[in-house]
Amino acid sequence: MYVELKNINKHFGNFKASDNVSFGIEKGKLIGLLGPSGSGKTTILRMIAGLENPDSGEIIIDGKVINNVPASKRGIGFVFQSYALFRYMTVFENIAFGLRVLKKSENEIKERVAELVKLIGLEGLENRYPSQLSGGQRQRVAFARALAPNPQLLLLDEPFAAIDAKVRQELRHWLKEMIAKLGVTSIFVTHDQDEAIEVADEIIITNKGRIDQIGKPLDVYSKPKTAFVASFFGQPSIFKDYNKFHSFDTIPNVDQAIVRPEFVKVTKKNEVQKFKNSAEEGVVTDVAFRGSGIEITVLVNGETLTARRSFDEPSISVGEKVDVFIYRLFVTVGNYAFLLENKSIREPIVVI
Amino acid sequence: MYKETTSSKIVKWSLIGISIAFVVLMLLLPLITVIAEAFKQGFDIYAKAVSDNYTTKAIWLTLEATLLAVIINTVFGLSAAWSLTKFQFKGKKILTTLIDLPVTVSPIIAGLIFLLTFGRQSPIYPLLQDWDIKIVFAVPGIVLATIFVTFPFISRELIPVLEARGNDEEEAAALMGAKGWTIFRKITFPHIKWAFLYGVVLCAARAMGEFGAVSVISGHLRGKTNTLPLHVEILFNEFQYVPAFAVSSILVMLAIVILIARSVIEYRGRKKI
Repeated sequence: MYVELKNINKHFGNFKASDNVSFGIEKGKLIGLLGPSGSGKTTILRMIAGLENPDSGEIIIDGKVINNVPASKRGIGFVFQSYALFRYMTVFENIAFGLRVLKKSENEIKERVAELVKLIGLEGLENRYPSQLSGGQRQRVAFARALAPNPQLLLLDEPFAAIDAKVRQELRHWLKEMIAKLGVTSIFVTHDQDEAIEVADEIIITNKGRIDQIGKPLDVYSKPKTAFVASFFGQPSIFKDYNKFHSFDTIPNVDQAIVRPEFVKVTKKNEVQKFKNSAEEGVVTDVAFRGSGIEITVLVNGETLTARRSFDEPSISVGEKVDVFIYRLFVTVGNYAFLLENKSIREPIVVI
Repeated sequence: MYKETTSSKIVKWSLIGISIAFVVLMLLLPLITVIAEAFKQGFDIYAKAVSDNYTTKAIWLTLEATLLAVIINTVFGLSAAWSLTKFQFKGKKILTTLIDLPVTVSPIIAGLIFLLTFGRQSPIYPLLQDWDIKIVFAVPGIVLATIFVTFPFISRELIPVLEARGNDEEEAAALMGAKGWTIFRKITFPHIKWAFLYGVVLCAARAMGEFGAVSVISGHLRGKTNTLPLHVEILFNEFQYVPAFAVSSILVMLAIVILIARSVIEYRGRKKI
């Protein structure tokens, strides 16, 4: 493990920002710290950087406990949420700042800055001030500035939060590519699940100061271990009594059932439904265009579920009676989440 | 769109009229009078009055007190603004309120405070005598009184600017290993430069014109503890009208220089943002 946190606790007054946090990160990985606001993800990042001190526990980088090493000596690059570019310095001077502090020679500085400016694709803009750059360009400069002194670890606090949707998409790819190319171990904080899934090699999910789950994006998404993780992803419909729906095993002490849109199949009465026998009848309450497809809200057995259909399928209108089939759902017992499959999927199908 | 009606036109021009009339009556007329009175008996008399030994001494004393007040209040203003915006500590609110005290207290009271603190009645007076330190009726007293009345000018200009900005840039610089002085010089100061200069100008203007507090503590020793405003008063009380107005005209000119400096700084500061 390159970066390791062991039993980290941190309070701000009465607020417990970190509750016994422990995890490890391998060298060269790009890690996403994902959680809702107030879940303690930024606090973890700032403690690794040395901008905050943990109340107890150890932070280890490259085998050394660095709790007592000041922030400036940790060799960490940090990209702030607001970028914190030096507004009275040019792009060149911004990137050169860390090198000047290290008392590098003027030639070395020129060379390194030129290299980085090329890397971020802002050649010719070296003499601009941050206020003369677009949001995306500023972010690239912040990235270059953090990388200039060759840090072994790069931390990014909500790196895409201040950028508009279209540029954000572009920058995500760019950042992932850059970090893979440079091989620098990186941790970024985000509250955006899509961003974490798309960019990170591994996701660490924070909730109320604790770590709920660590894993590859696909695993975290499809195999949630805790009730929180199960309900955090996707656009879940949550209800209490799942036994109203056919063909699910009954588990004792279930608190709630969580159904994601991709778990639900909505078909028109005249369409072929493979599992007709286990499907239930529902009434469509809303049909919304969502860019990538049609989102259908349907009322079944007194519960509201969300499902998706593609544009190719025959259109469905509000008030229409439809068949609704649930492939699988998550149920939570206490803090744990379990996946239940619809039993009729495994039963032999009788086609009449 | 807002359309000018006849009645709103009347309001507009009568308000403008009142303002202009007021400025002419209260500011321009007295200023013209001062200059006219100063040159009433010709330039030679004016030059003589201005180059008079006591007058030159008063000019130097005023400049000395102003310079010292600006320097000391710069140090204080920067420390106060920095500590009040960057740190959390107990008594912060009280400190913020106390900084404004010199503006609300009458200058005469300020002068009296120093007279009582360092004068004959004071318990520390024997101590000062032993060390051979003269404050009351001496230059140090004048400087002290000037510093007191111009106390909040620089910090008051800096606090809002520092508050509006947060610590991100400083944090970023510190993370890269920059030391406190480098951070201040390269990151913080460029940001507060114009507000700071504006504060210096205000502080200087107030320091030059200060009369009340200085009057109490100076003792009016001609050629020793007389500042320009005090000198004007003495001349006037002695019915030496031409010299009195001549010396006043120096203060007026200094004020105009400062006014120009102020406008330039304001203009450049706004352009930078």
